[in-house]
Amino acid sequence: MAVTMTVAVSEQTPGKSRALSSALWPWLLLLPAFLSLASVSFYPIVNGVYLSFTNRSLITQDNDFVSIANYVQLLADPPFWNAWWHTIWFTLISTLLETFIGLAMALILCETFAGRGMVRAAMLVPWAMPTVVTSKMFGWLFDGQHGIINFILLHTGLIDQNVNWYGSPDTALTTIILADVWKTTPFMALLLLTGLQTVPKSLIEAARMDGARAWTIFWHVRLPLLMPTLLIAGLFRALDAFRVFDLVYVLTGGGPADSTETLSTLSYKVLFSTLQFGYGSAVTTAMFLTEGLIAIGFCIFLVRQIRRTT
Amino acid sequence: MTDIKKTPAHSTSAGQSIMLDRRQLLLGAAGAAIGTATLGVASGLGIRPARAADRTEISFASASFFGKEGLGDLVKAFNESQSRITVKFIELPPPSSSTEVYQGLVQQLARRNGTPDVFSQDVIWIAGFASAGWALPLDEYFPKDKRSDYFPGTVAACTYGGKLTALPWFVDSGMFYYRKDLVEKHGGKVPETWADMATMAAEAQKAGDAKFGYLWQGKQAEVLVCDAVEIIASNGGSILSADGKSSVIGDDAAVAAIQFLYDTINKTKISPQSVLSWDEEPSRQPFTSGEAMFMRNWSYVYPIAQDPKASHVVDKVAVAPLPHFAGGKSSACLGGYQLGVNANSKKREAAIEFLTWMSSPETQTRLALNFGLAPSRPAIFQDAKLKAEQPFMASLQNVFTGATPRPITPQYAKVTLALQSSISKALVSGNVKAELQAAAAHINKIVG
Repeated sequence: MAVTMTVAVSEQTPGKSRALSSALWPWLLLLPAFLSLASVSFYPIVNGVYLSFTNRSLITQDNDFVSIANYVQLLADPPFWNAWWHTIWFTLISTLLETFIGLAMALILCETFAGRGMVRAAMLVPWAMPTVVTSKMFGWLFDGQHGIINFILLHTGLIDQNVNWYGSPDTALTTIILADVWKTTPFMALLLLTGLQTVPKSLIEAARMDGARAWTIFWHVRLPLLMPTLLIAGLFRALDAFRVFDLVYVLTGGGPADSTETLSTLSYKVLFSTLQFGYGSAVTTAMFLTEGLIAIGFCIFLVRQIRRTT
Repeated sequence: MTDIKKTPAHSTSAGQSIMLDRRQLLLGAAGAAIGTATLGVASGLGIRPARAADRTEISFASASFFGKEGLGDLVKAFNESQSRITVKFIELPPPSSSTEVYQGLVQQLARRNGTPDVFSQDVIWIAGFASAGWALPLDEYFPKDKRSDYFPGTVAACTYGGKLTALPWFVDSGMFYYRKDLVEKHGGKVPETWADMATMAAEAQKAGDAKFGYLWQGKQAEVLVCDAVEIIASNGGSILSADGKSSVIGDDAAVAAIQFLYDTINKTKISPQSVLSWDEEPSRQPFTSGEAMFMRNWSYVYPIAQDPKASHVVDKVAVAPLPHFAGGKSSACLGGYQLGVNANSKKREAAIEFLTWMSSPETQTRLALNFGLAPSRPAIFQDAKLKAEQPFMASLQNVFTGATPRPITPQYAKVTLALQSSISKALVSGNVKAELQAAAAHINKIVG
């Protein structure tokens, strides 16, 4: 109602106020979106940061401002650093693997071959599956006693006794990374495929006419043009991988011997098992800051890349 | 609050509300005018006039349990059994989502507005709720002689700071599953000590009768703490000292117990490496498919083991108390749910009445028959119908008798995370003494 009135008024009054209302108009339209974002996104973030400066606990009813005490505790907390390193390692390895394998898949899917549409659709199945289902499936595949992976490896002679994939600190995190790679590579492939398809065909054909081989075309034509897509996809994936929760929670719960604890599982335990909202918020704020740094890193790369190509 | 004691505990639904009528009389005797004036005073005090249509409404929050019926049906049965109280059931997620149930309860209780009036709780939350001042002490309603109707371990778990802050509802505990046929073949007697168990299991494994000798749960999770509590107690040790102010998990009794668990994987090899990543279900499956001789697990396994659709070992499985170390005594980790009253409840009389009904022999028998949840009252195990319909429960009675609670401390949530991490490290690395002493130091900081 208010909106229609503004329009009506602005049509009647000439000059300055018309200019004003047309300047206000976009803001008015943005207002609902802004308000809903503010309430579901900005407020929780600000509140989370605020909580990290308190000793709020639901169970003891403490709720005092403690300044940076939580962060001082955090920096000296071995479980936090343990989880921090695991999270960084998980993010780095899974993002790299998914980018490389995804790129290979995208290059294949870019070619014309019979049944390409089918393959493109089928490829997305792992990504479309709920992570909990993937987790359970990998739990069985890599089961130390009855898993088919052990069965195959034993029968091909690659191992001489069952490997306890999720029960040993040496293999648990690696196995979780494998599960993540299986699940998310198709998503990367899809993003990169769209990037590859924006590379003008004429450029490739021109290169071919000049006698360039496939490798040279990839390296000097396709890759430079794909770089922005690659970086953006990598950023998406890295930020997502950094928050890994369900795979770890279902497969190992952070064990054995804390060897798969990530920041998400740690903050879940601190927040919802022990109900230390103050300290738990410090953990999540630290996560938020690390993610911010990752995003800034990627953006710097991206800007440089764009400057170089234009 | 004192007037409740004057009313009979079991004021059966004989016509109008006896309790409230009596209160009105008391008020009248205090000098107030009879009739409207009394009602005025009464409602001023928050007491509702006694009319059949105007029942006292209380709320009951609980994790949802299912069997032949649900908890909602149980609440309905209570509402129909009498005319003064209406209970509204607030359904929380099933106990498999224990963390969500816990959060749901904490969020409601932390508001201190009296809702829910009655709630059910896992044993490990009792101390925390009591120390936060959310649980009403129940000593005056359930004096010592009434408490002796329950298994001692359940009453101990319900007691915090010398006060009864919850009422036992139903129990579960760790128990020792064994294969009757294999035990007969290798010695004939169910092992009573861990050493005997290990010897027998190794023999059966060597003879090729069982792929695994002994299955337990070594995943870094709550169940690992349960396994640890019982094996440590079976060597005379414990996790917290008697006063609850320090940890004794670094002491020799506890170290030897966890060392035994480590040895089952690495020395006697009666347990597969995989137990380190197994919680309840992954360890149950090889057992019911006939691959194992002994297993530690909860009571839920028994009906599965006897179900031909799910088990290859029907009629071959029996339950016994868990073994102990030489000189120690068998110990089982206490599970199950207990009932509590909100300290901020404005309708304590009604809450207590509902609580009494929920934990009564009749209701507990119904829970056992229809939900498969074991009674916390030993006497019910003698019930003829229960023996006929749930025969396994009778064989479990002596297992429940000695059930040991996990550490009773308001800081349990922090303690268990520290335990899970340290015990898992001990079992993976084999540095049992060092890891447990580190755990003791860590726990001292939490509870000290």
